[in-house]
Amino acid sequence: MAGVVFDDVRKDYGGVPALRGLDLEVGDGELLVLVGPSGSGKSTALRIVAGLEEPTAGTIRIGSRDVTRLPPASRDVAMVFQSYALFPHLTVEENVGFGLRARRVPRSETRARVAEAARVVGCEDLLERRPSQLSGGERQRVALARALVREPDVFLLDEPLSNLDAQLRVQTRAELKRLHARLGATMVYVTHDQVEALTMGDRVAVLDGGILQQVGAPQEVYRRPANRFVGRFVGSPAMNVLPAEVEDDLVRAGPFRLPRSALRVRLDGRPIEIGVRPEHVVLGGLDAQAEAVVQIVEVAGTEAFVHLEAAGALLVSRTAPEGGPEVGSLVRIAVDPRHAHVFDAETGAALTDE
Amino acid sequence: MRGDSERRGLLLLLLPYVFGIALLIVIPGAITFGLALFEYDLIRSPRFLGLDNFRELWNDEIFRISLRNSLLFILFAVPLRLVGALALALLLHQRFRAVGAYRTAAYLPTVVPDVAYALLWLWIFNPLYGPLNLLLAELGGPTPRWLTDPRDAQTAIVIMSLFQIGEGFLVALATRQALPSELYELSAVEGARPVYVFLRVTLPLMAPTLLLLLFRDTVFSFQANFVPALIVTDGGPPPYATTYLPLFAYQNAFEYLRYGYAAAATLIMFGVTAAIVYVQYRIVRRWRHSFAV
Repeated sequence: MAGVVFDDVRKDYGGVPALRGLDLEVGDGELLVLVGPSGSGKSTALRIVAGLEEPTAGTIRIGSRDVTRLPPASRDVAMVFQSYALFPHLTVEENVGFGLRARRVPRSETRARVAEAARVVGCEDLLERRPSQLSGGERQRVALARALVREPDVFLLDEPLSNLDAQLRVQTRAELKRLHARLGATMVYVTHDQVEALTMGDRVAVLDGGILQQVGAPQEVYRRPANRFVGRFVGSPAMNVLPAEVEDDLVRAGPFRLPRSALRVRLDGRPIEIGVRPEHVVLGGLDAQAEAVVQIVEVAGTEAFVHLEAAGALLVSRTAPEGGPEVGSLVRIAVDPRHAHVFDAETGAALTDE
Repeated sequence: MRGDSERRGLLLLLLPYVFGIALLIVIPGAITFGLALFEYDLIRSPRFLGLDNFRELWNDEIFRISLRNSLLFILFAVPLRLVGALALALLLHQRFRAVGAYRTAAYLPTVVPDVAYALLWLWIFNPLYGPLNLLLAELGGPTPRWLTDPRDAQTAIVIMSLFQIGEGFLVALATRQALPSELYELSAVEGARPVYVFLRVTLPLMAPTLLLLLFRDTVFSFQANFVPALIVTDGGPPPYATTYLPLFAYQNAFEYLRYGYAAAATLIMFGVTAAIVYVQYRIVRRWRHSFAV
């Protein structure tokens, strides 16, 4: 196994930048999730590690080797594609053993390794079938087995769960996590799904517009977003972000008036915004600060999302599903200022602690 | 009823094609079947002969030579045309500068009218001033007598057919373009070499289309050499080196006015074509099954 290092990696497509100087280190044995919206550069970064794209500038290292100019086959990586990229004319056994046969590994060894990889992912009963005879989940397992069978230095997974239904996705997410723990392999995992990123990654790297916005442990990224983009992108429903004004000792943000001292950031007069996660917009309570009209209530099993309109601002609150307010009713709402995030209104950067 | 009106609409759309196929294929085909049993010269009334035309064909030396020439032509031309179309498709599916111009160039000979194409090759094959022999002489190679030696003339007709592969090329190109790029990216990551990828990925995935092209080209090739054989070699050089079945039928019908006899020869050509396609189908059926997508 080996780690992966991106050193000032840039990639332009006909003058349009897809990656703008990515510096990132994936530790040996780490599962790092690259997450971002469409066009953020996350898949480009992964394809550059695989050797399927050549960077415009910068270097890629796997372990101690500079692999920037090496062909994909010489990098000792395995890739799982979003579409699974299974050969439709080959059986599962032939699909899993494709790389070994291409590298002329002896037949008996190929058979043994294919059987072992199939056992690890639980597709040993499917070896004689063709991809058209498999369900989405089974195809995904076969693609994983094919990645495992060569025992590569680095696993590259490009949105491998996107084509699965919601239930299977949750189940496979956990299986992948177990597999990673068991193999101790270095994995770079690309997804646009922030829930997947938070639940799976040892660390999460958030990309937007080809720029690394933040990298850190999932909880750190969630609790201390480096900027407004990360704050809104990570977490569902998205963080409420309100334009704010400082008035002496108070900060007025939408319907809320927060004591300036409680925000614990240095405010030097520049325009700011206040971000509040939905779970920190509290309905009712004695210290309620404002009134809001309930617009929509979405009950999702163990929680409910209450969409509110207050002083011209639209907010979302995450609450318990039982005893929620009626649509159209007037509710009192409050925010604990200790949970408020303060962003520079112009740059979007999170303002640091005093 | 909506279903009825939809069906009427569909029938209306189909009508021009049904009309064309009936007029140009079904009716002449049916007439050919009937004509093969008669003696008919456009002047006298048709005379019923039963199977006499077929008996005469069986003993006709020129017919046997034509049939053998046609089969030999198919044996060489069809595989070479298929390989040529596939090779061009694989070469030109890649993106590089001016690839569109190369694709057009590959297709262009197919849209040149047959007569113009044949006249062009008549010049190319000319043993005295034709560019092909001048080039071969310059390179120190042999200078075949394209128009006068029987073997060379047969080779010439095959060579001519190899440049009119535009349709096969286009179909193969479209098939190759439609193969998912991920399969090739995965092959690259897995360390598969180009020959391995060609044999294990490209060829099997293109097999259904290539088989279709094989069947189609076999049918087509039986008829494709008519204009070249008529214009470039006029069925010669002796003894009937480039007299193929279509030319044989043409000569009997329009030069000797033996329409019944020509119709019988055409029917045999039809039967031989069907038999070859059937044998091909049987041979490749198992092979195709293993490549089923």
